[in-house]
Parts: sequence; C-alpha cells; structure tokens
Amino acid sequence: MRQDRSLLAILVFAVVYAALSLTVTNSYYQLMMTLVLVWATMGLSWNLLSGYTGLVSFGHAAFFGLGAYTVALAQNYFGLSPWISIPIAAVLGGIAGLVVGLPTFRLRGHYFALAMLAYPLALLYVFEWLGYQEVSLPMERVHPAAYMQFSDGRIYTFIALVILVLVMLVTRRVERSRFGLALMAIKQNEAAADAAGIDTLGWKLRAIALSGMIAGGIGGFYAVVLLVVTPIAVFGMLVSAQALTVAMFGGVGTVWGPVIGALILIPVSETLHAELGAWVPGIQGVIYGCAIIAVMIAAPEGLFWTLRDRFFKRAPAAAAEAPPPSPENVVAWSAQRPRRTVGDEVILDVKGLSKSFGGLKAVQDVSFQVRKGMILGIIGPNGAGKTTVFNLLNGFLVPDTGEVLLNGRNIVGRKPHQLCAMGMGRTFQIMRPFQRMTVADNVLVGAFVKAATDEEARRLAADAIRRVGLADHADEIAGGLATRQLRLMEIARALAGQPEILLLDETLAGLGHGEVDDVIAVIRRLADEGTTIVIIEHTMQAMVRLVDHFLVLDHGAVLVDGEPEAVTRDPQVVEAYLGKKWGAYAHN
Amino acid sequence: MHSKGSLTRRGLIATAAAFGVAGAARAQQPAEVKIGLIVPLSGLYTRPGTVMRMGAQMGIEHINAQGGIKALGGARLRLVTIDCGDTTEKAKNAAQRMVAQEPDLVGATGSYLSSFTLAVTEVTERAQLPVVTLSYSDLLTERGFKFIFQTAATAGAQSAMGLPELMKLAQSASGKRPKTVGIVMDNTATSVATAKAIKEKLLDELGLELLFDEVWTPPLADATPLVQRVRSARPDLLLFMPNAVSDAKLGLEKLSEFGLGQGRIPTISFSITVAEPDMLQSVTPEVVQGLMTIVANWGSKGQEALMAELKAKYGEPWMTQNAISTYGDMWLFKEALEKAGKADRLAVAEALRNLDGAPSRYYPGGILKFDERGRRIGAGITIVQWQDGVPVTVYPPDLATAQPFWPKA
Repeated sequence: MRQDRSLLAILVFAVVYAALSLTVTNSYYQLMMTLVLVWATMGLSWNLLSGYTGLVSFGHAAFFGLGAYTVALAQNYFGLSPWISIPIAAVLGGIAGLVVGLPTFRLRGHYFALAMLAYPLALLYVFEWLGYQEVSLPMERVHPAAYMQFSDGRIYTFIALVILVLVMLVTRRVERSRFGLALMAIKQNEAAADAAGIDTLGWKLRAIALSGMIAGGIGGFYAVVLLVVTPIAVFGMLVSAQALTVAMFGGVGTVWGPVIGALILIPVSETLHAELGAWVPGIQGVIYGCAIIAVMIAAPEGLFWTLRDRFFKRAPAAAAEAPPPSPENVVAWSAQRPRRTVGDEVILDVKGLSKSFGGLKAVQDVSFQVRKGMILGIIGPNGAGKTTVFNLLNGFLVPDTGEVLLNGRNIVGRKPHQLCAMGMGRTFQIMRPFQRMTVADNVLVGAFVKAATDEEARRLAADAIRRVGLADHADEIAGGLATRQLRLMEIARALAGQPEILLLDETLAGLGHGEVDDVIAVIRRLADEGTTIVIIEHTMQAMVRLVDHFLVLDHGAVLVDGEPEAVTRDPQVVEAYLGKKWGAYAHN
Repeated sequence: MHSKGSLTRRGLIATAAAFGVAGAARAQQPAEVKIGLIVPLSGLYTRPGTVMRMGAQMGIEHINAQGGIKALGGARLRLVTIDCGDTTEKAKNAAQRMVAQEPDLVGATGSYLSSFTLAVTEVTERAQLPVVTLSYSDLLTERGFKFIFQTAATAGAQSAMGLPELMKLAQSASGKRPKTVGIVMDNTATSVATAKAIKEKLLDELGLELLFDEVWTPPLADATPLVQRVRSARPDLLLFMPNAVSDAKLGLEKLSEFGLGQGRIPTISFSITVAEPDMLQSVTPEVVQGLMTIVANWGSKGQEALMAELKAKYGEPWMTQNAISTYGDMWLFKEALEKAGKADRLAVAEALRNLDGAPSRYYPGGILKFDERGRRIGAGITIVQWQDGVPVTVYPPDLATAQPFWPKA
C-alpha cells in the first residue's frame, strides 16, 4: 500500500509540475522551473551516495563537470547532439564514479569528504590547463531541435522533469531494494553491515557509479541549458555545495528531500538575487545564508523528516513504557537448567589462534572446538580478549598464527561478508539499530546474504523475527524499541542470514533481570532449533543457566575449557575472575 | 552615495506617470527608451560592475541633457540595471530575466567578464536583443551571432597591436631593442588567449626569444618562485599577466623586493587589473611606477572633462576602460536610435550593423562601424603607464595624456 502511495505521489508531483510549467509563459520563470529540476536531480545524485551511505561527498562537481564538458566538447568537436552525448556523459560519470571510488573508499568519515573535495578541484585545473576556459555550445540555426535547442523554454522543463522522475524512480527502487538497505546498513555501522554479509565495498562502488551517472547526465543537460561551460561553473565548489545544500535542507536519505530542497532554495535564492541584487548588491547572499542557517537549526535532519515527524507521526510505539510480554517469550523458566544433548559433529575448530597488536598479545594460542547445536559461553574479565576472538572468527581481524576451520574448511583471511555467507553470523556489543527503519527492514538487511530474491529475503526476515518473538513489533520503527527488543532484533538480523553458527557479543549486557530471562529463553530455543551459538558475556550468573560449555579466557589465553559445573567450581577461575560470592559457592 | 535605490518601483511609477501625463499628448512616441546594463553588482566582480554603471549613468545623463533622441522627438534614455552576479549561471539567469521582464529594452551592454558576456549573449541572441560589450574574448564574436557588438579589439588583436608598439617605444627610449622576454601569467581565459597569440605568432615576428613561461592558478599564494625565475633569467621584457588585484600585488611587491621593480626589468601587463584604483590600496605608487599595461580603452586626451566629472561625482580617481567604454556605449546606442528612427530592438540592431563609420570618440582607434561578425572596425588599443601614482595613457600619441618613459636598465 505504502509503495503504491509513494509512486502515486511522484506521478502527481510530475503532472502538477508539468501543468504548472505549461501555464508559465515568462521565459525567465520557465528557466527557473528547469533549474529547480536540474538541482533537484543533482541533489538526488548526491543523496544516492552520501544520503544513504553517510559518506559525505564534497566532490560531486567532478561528475557534473565531466558531464557538462562531455556534452559541450562533443558538440564542438564532433558535432554530436546532446540527445546522444547526454547518455554518454552519464556513462562517463558512472565510470568516473568507479575510478574515484576505488581509491577513495579506503578512507572514512572526514577523510573521505576531504579526499572527494580534491577531485573537482583537480579537474578544474586540468580543464583550465587544456585551454577550455570557456566553451560555448554552438547555436544550431538549421535543426535546433536535433541539438536540443528550443525557443520554447517549456520543452527544457519537460526534459528535465523526465530526467528527474526517472532518477526519483531509480532512487525509490534503490531505497526499497537490498541495494538501499545495504547502503543504509553501511551508514549505520559499516563493520556490522560487513558482518551481516554485506559486501560493503561492492555496494559503495555501485552507489558511487550510479550517483556519478546521474550527476554526469544532469551535468550534460545543464550545459545545454546554460549554453556556456566554464571550469568554475561546472567544477566549482558551488556546484558540490549546491548539491549538498538542497539535499541537506530538504532531507537526507529520502527521495523527496532533495526535491523539496531544490523547490524552495533555488527560487528563493534567485528571487532574492533578482529583487535585491540591483538594490543592495550582495544582500541576497546574506539573507539566503541566514535563512538556511535558521531552517537547519529548526530542522536539523532536513525539512522532509521534520515535517513528517510533526504531521505524519506513526502511532507511538510501545517504546516508552515497558512492552507487554509477548506470549511467545513467556517460556516457563526453571532455575534448573535442563540437560541438552549435543551431537559430536564439530562445526568450528579453532587451532592455536594468536593475535598481537604491537607488543600487546591480545590472543595467545587459543584452541577450542564447537560442536553442532551447542551453546558455548566465552567468559573472562574485561580485556581478556573475548571480542578479539570474535573479530578473528568473523574476519574483522586476520590472526598472526593459527587456523579456524568452519565445517572443515580453513577460513583465515576471508572477508567478513564472505564468512557471513558461509554461515558465520554475529551481533555486536554496542547495538547499532537502523533507527529510522522498521524492525522488519532492520532484519531484512541481514537476510540478503542468503536470499536470491527480495521476496525470499522478506520471507527469511519474517521468519527470523518470528523466531525471536518480535512478530508483533515488525512494523515498528527501530528508534522506538526498548533495549530488550533491540537485542532481540539484532539477533534476528544475524539469524536472517541463516547462520550455522551465531556469535553473540554481550547480548545480555544492559538488560534488567526479567529481560535477561526473556532473551535467554530465545537463545535457548534457537539452539534447540539447531543453531550453534557462541556467546560472550561477563555476567556469569546468567551464563551458567544458558551454556553447555564454558571457555574462560584471561590475558588472551585459555584458562579453563569445560562444563559449567566444573568451571564454576574451579577455584582458579572462581577466585581470579568471579569474585568472593562464587568462590564461597565453589567451596561449598 | 548616489544609488539606484528601489529602481524598479520608482521606474514603474515614472513610466506610469509618463504614460499617464504625456501619453495623451504624444501618443505615438515612447516617452522613454530603455537600455539595459547587465553587469556584476554583487560578488567578486562588484567593483568593475559598479564602475561600468557609473559610466552608463553619466552617458545617459549627458545624452538626456543634450535633448535625448532627436529622431524620437527628444525621447529620453533610461537605464535598466540588472545584476548578473558572480557566476555564469547567475549571469544566464539574469539575462533571461532581463529579456523576459523588460520586453521593451532596445539594447543592452555588459557584462565585464567574458564568461558572463558569453552566457548573457546566448540568451540575448535568441531574444534578438542587441548587446554591446567591452569584453574582448575572441570567442564572443566567433559564434556567428548577429546581435553582439564588440567595441574593443579582441584579446588576440590587442597583443598583436600592443607588443610591436612597445618594442618601438623601447627602442626609441632606451636605444636598444629588447631581445629576450619572459612570461608570468595566471591561467584565466583572458591571459591564456593573450599568451597564445603572443607565443604562436608575435615572438617570431618581433624576433624575441622566450626565456621562460610560468603559469599560476589564482589566487597566487607566494610569488617567490616565479620572481626567482625572473631574477635568474633576467629577460629584457617581462610580461606579467594577473587578473586579480591580490595576485598583482604579490607579484609586483616581490619583484620590488628582489630589486627588479620600478622598471629595472620593464614589465608589461595585458589587463586593466594592474591599473585599477584598488591597486593603490594594496601597493605604494613606487612599486607600480613605470609598469605598463596594454588595454582596450582608457580615459585619454580630449576626455579631461569627463574624467573630472567622474572624479567629482563618484570619487573615481581616473577613468578606466569600464567607465569610458560603458559611457561610450550609451552614445553608441543614441547613434543607432537616431539612425533607426524608432525604439525597436530589431531596428536598433539593424542600425548598429549599418553604422556610417563616424569617428570613434570614446573607443580608441578605428571608426564607429562593425564588421559582419560584430567586431568594431579598426578597434585599437591604449597603452597605459603608471607615472607617479596615476596610470596615464601614453599610446596612441593622439590620445596620450603623458609621454611614456622607458626605464633605463
């Protein structure tokens, strides 16, 4: 339903805009109507990369300018019509995206933003050096339409509208597919996304290529509208800034944000310029700047999100209050842990694993085996190397020595997303839910690694949500969930990829007493259903009720490896790590 | 300051009043003829745009004071000012706004930077509005346009005319002919076009040896490496081509610091930047003393009254190309309007294409007539030299307000 409505919204927008354009006879207003669409498209291009992945680009002018110069030079030197050269410009923009992305995606955060800034600046100088300070598109007097030259400005608006609607549909499609979910997952937590089976570099490259294509294409069209291409006009800082401003102003990470931003900012800035420019020259810039600052303070996430939150707020989730326990979670819990039978098949075999960070030996010669269907608990004080072991297992870190056999295959050196595909799922100590996405979508991110189609992924996700008992909350926004539900959602996300072995990193941390019981019940049920589980924890109390086997780490080395009863009674363990209370228990 | 405050509203009222009161009496004749001035009045190029407006306002006042357009029954000219901003996109938008919202313009002048003029004339050409420009990029009049009229010699032509004159000047003043030359330039469109013409053709023709060719991208951060190059090579002539006052200041001060200033190495520029009044806010008169620049137009002999008026009215210490050319543009439009006999843009354009070739009073050299590309026939140049804190016209002799001096090396 929601999908149809949003499609309808785009269509209504296009029809209204086209109708409005038909009524405008003033060529100047018509030009404004075209430029609004140009900058909305450019904003969407920026949004596709930076809005969804969170990697802020200050360099989209590079693709835009390449597109503009492609069209201008193609017509000057080869007599090529923009009808042909704009698609070429789009392809070149896409290629430029890949060329830029490959080296630049090694960088993150501010470093990525700064590196992106360099590309248009470099290109600006290159084009100046090549002697293309001013390139004008020749006026075609014989067949103007064949060269996209029209005396009626409305035709430009229509062409721009077609481009914009296409880009909106593409963006919308990306947003709703595994592509968009992958990008949003990268934005929230790249490491978690990688662990959830997402090929982060691959998706980022696809995003920058698509974004570059859009920017290149619209840059080419811009050359047709402006008719004069200069390095400053197409590679200048203002171009990148304009793309960023309309997107940030309107709302990042949504189809409508850049469109809203352009619809407001372009006419306002131009009107200010036209009305005040000849009166108090320069005042337009001051007013414009102040207005943007005011709006950004009032609506820091952009107009779209702020308005949506204010006027279309979903029924408040049971978030604030404690949720009523869902029937599935109320599993009769006895303090007496029932014996579980675990098979002999070894699923994970870790041999002599070591990892040092400089002089610090974080993990030293750790060996253990995990049998199918078992719940293994790894305990130890802070700094014992528990999380490092997980990072070695799922490929975040490469061990210095040792090997890890998953179903008999050595997996050392493989990337996290590959390991995820091989059946290694994990959660994180620090939760990173995708706040604005629903529980279902959050879990969906994890399902793509195993699913061939989006349909299958949705089925896997729904299944995982049911298994952790969150079915009632599937359509709620993750931002409104309580800690217990978030923990379960994280487990569901890992489960959606149908792991053979699930690594849970301090899943019980931060939960109240009753909540711990709920989560433990879920984990046990998963184990009963056949999922092998390795869980890190330092709350011993809960762990003795959960695990089949303990691995105690200290200073990166295995201290004890044994049954819960034996481990909790081991004086060495008890005295050193578990404290007096358990020590007394052990000696009883 | 005399400003164009609330021009639009006042203009509307004035127009309405004119039609209301005088309309009945003189129904057939427009009471006012509107000329557009589309120049940068905000952003980086505000200053030259403002000076162009001064020139235009003075021109309009003088024409109106002398009885307006006689062929139109003494119709008065009115200036419509449009800010073309500081980017090509803004210039294009402004031009579109001008043609859409001022349909009764008969012509316009603008837009300082050739990139802006290029964009503006793409619009005006399609709207069939004649535009007179002082921009001198060759490209402007190479597009086969019918509604652009370039009053200045093109960039290529300017160096072709200017350099030989400088050589003669050097020979007559110092007794020896320069043999070597060095180029230090920024990479803006103007400089690149000028240098191209020099390197491809002129150096050979003049028998000059190019010792070095250094290019920087504005803004110039440090001129030391450039000037060290000059000092080690010691050319007879240095062509120094900045297009921003700040770059000019850095380069000239560094030359002075290295003991190469004040003409110890004769230094020539090709833009009005180094002769702008702003220069004196950045450098002392000693630093620029003797510096020469080849420009398309400058306040010259016979325009003393104009220069005095500009100074009295607007406080401009001297008359740059921006002021005198735009002033002249108003007279050019008057000429065309008298010839056209009606306030119609097509008629004015036609008149501009078929001018009689009267002597050119406000542009150096040539006549008031345009060739089929829209270039003024015989458009010449002026050479300006800083002498005691004022850039004065030293060439051509009939326009010179002072004698040139060639530094004794």
